[in-house]
Amino acid sequence: MLCKRLIISVFVISVMGAAASVSMAGEPTEYIRKTTDKIIEILTDPALKGSDKDRERAQQIRKAVDERFDWEEMSKRTLARHWKDRTPQEREEFIMLFGRLLERTYLDKVEGYSGEKVLYAEEKVEGSYAVVAVKIITKEETEIRVAYRLKKKEGEWMVYDISIEGVSLVNNYRKQFQSIMTRSSYDDLIQRLRSKVEGEE
Amino acid sequence: MAASMKSIVFLIILLNPLVAFPRIHEAIADSGPTPVEAAFLVRETQGHELIRLAFSEGRATREGPMNNEKADQRGDAETALDEVDPWEDDYSGSMDAIPDPLEPMNRAFFVFNDKMYFWVLKPVGTGYKMVVPEVGRICIRNFFTNLVMPIRAVSCLLQGKFDGFAIELVRTVVNTTAGFLGFQDVAAQALDFQVQDEDLGQAFAFYGIGPGFYLNLPFLGPSTLRDTAGWVGGLYLNPLDYMVEDFWTNVGFRTFDMVNRTSMRIGEYEAFKKAALDPYVAMRDAYHQYRLNQIEE
Repeated sequence: MLCKRLIISVFVISVMGAAASVSMAGEPTEYIRKTTDKIIEILTDPALKGSDKDRERAQQIRKAVDERFDWEEMSKRTLARHWKDRTPQEREEFIMLFGRLLERTYLDKVEGYSGEKVLYAEEKVEGSYAVVAVKIITKEETEIRVAYRLKKKEGEWMVYDISIEGVSLVNNYRKQFQSIMTRSSYDDLIQRLRSKVEGEE
Repeated sequence: MAASMKSIVFLIILLNPLVAFPRIHEAIADSGPTPVEAAFLVRETQGHELIRLAFSEGRATREGPMNNEKADQRGDAETALDEVDPWEDDYSGSMDAIPDPLEPMNRAFFVFNDKMYFWVLKPVGTGYKMVVPEVGRICIRNFFTNLVMPIRAVSCLLQGKFDGFAIELVRTVVNTTAGFLGFQDVAAQALDFQVQDEDLGQAFAFYGIGPGFYLNLPFLGPSTLRDTAGWVGGLYLNPLDYMVEDFWTNVGFRTFDMVNRTSMRIGEYEAFKKAALDPYVAMRDAYHQYRLNQIEE
């Protein structure tokens, strides 16, 4: 059986190699790759090194992330059925606060970048939705599987969820928000969100 | 080591037949062939997929995004494409929640583990990290990973994943010899035989046993009734427990393994807490989603 496995894997690898040279990765993957490369470039830019450049670096990363992440879609999905009870002002406020929280979380994650490798593993497209699976190899040789979910909006692929090792960010926040809203209220949620965003910056 | 620990947790499991056992009977009654027969029948083909089919009767499994039914609908109504999220299933249904009847106790242990991390594990891990170079720490991690092969191998076997079982056996032979008692993961580097991410909890899930309810255990962290049972079963399969019988020495080895692994992940828990509005709920859900994903694979 092992022998068979080996033969099959050699075969698959050679076929994949051939296929890769013919066709390229799809559009959603290219969008993710572009944003990732841009962020890595900012993080490794010698002109932006050092703690006195923290602000500028963060600002540039923020810009790159904002271009690719659809905060509204994320907010809609995390609030789920509570979304339609919100007034337009409330929605706007929520998108702003939640977006900032996510931005900061993402920033904290990438700030520690130390030469991790990013491999583009798989892409699935269905209509205007897509999943791009990525593998991050850390310097301790651990593999982290990340999947970006994207939706096509006005011709651009925008990220609306990230899952890390099968844990979806949107689902995780939805559970937390639901729990807070069942225990207390939407206002309490907003208050906690605000103190989280403002308190720790 | 944990003779008393084992009996205690087994007692808990036995006292909960409602949670664990009716479903396995159901699964077996539904499917016709016994696990052994089924395993025998499909030995040559893609083992685990077929066995999974045989046992998935009456069990809710998450559907893949590319299932046929959806694809058909798509063909019928191309114009509606924009409105349908093909992965909508992932945002509802079985993903939703895990029962947590012992929440007050779990929250107390969550706080305990949190303090343990910040007051003990993190300082010790940080100091250890400064003393032991990265290469050394990777070797030690590999050693412990290699040691508990029987847990992964048996879990593969129970799920009919014969390829995974064979990979684990080859890995151990290669790594224990050419890899100097497992300090080097030669099998992964040279043969691309990766560690099989399997444990008994996943094997139980394969036979249709639900998670039961959520548990946050002191020192061990997030778990469920089923996964705790799997962990206890793992004690019988862990060579460490046969090699080191003295309780405190055994705990010492486990602690060392834990500190070593922690030294590679300092900062992760902090980031997790910083991003969460309710870290307890965030952890519970993350564990749930993570396990669902592992079980599915």
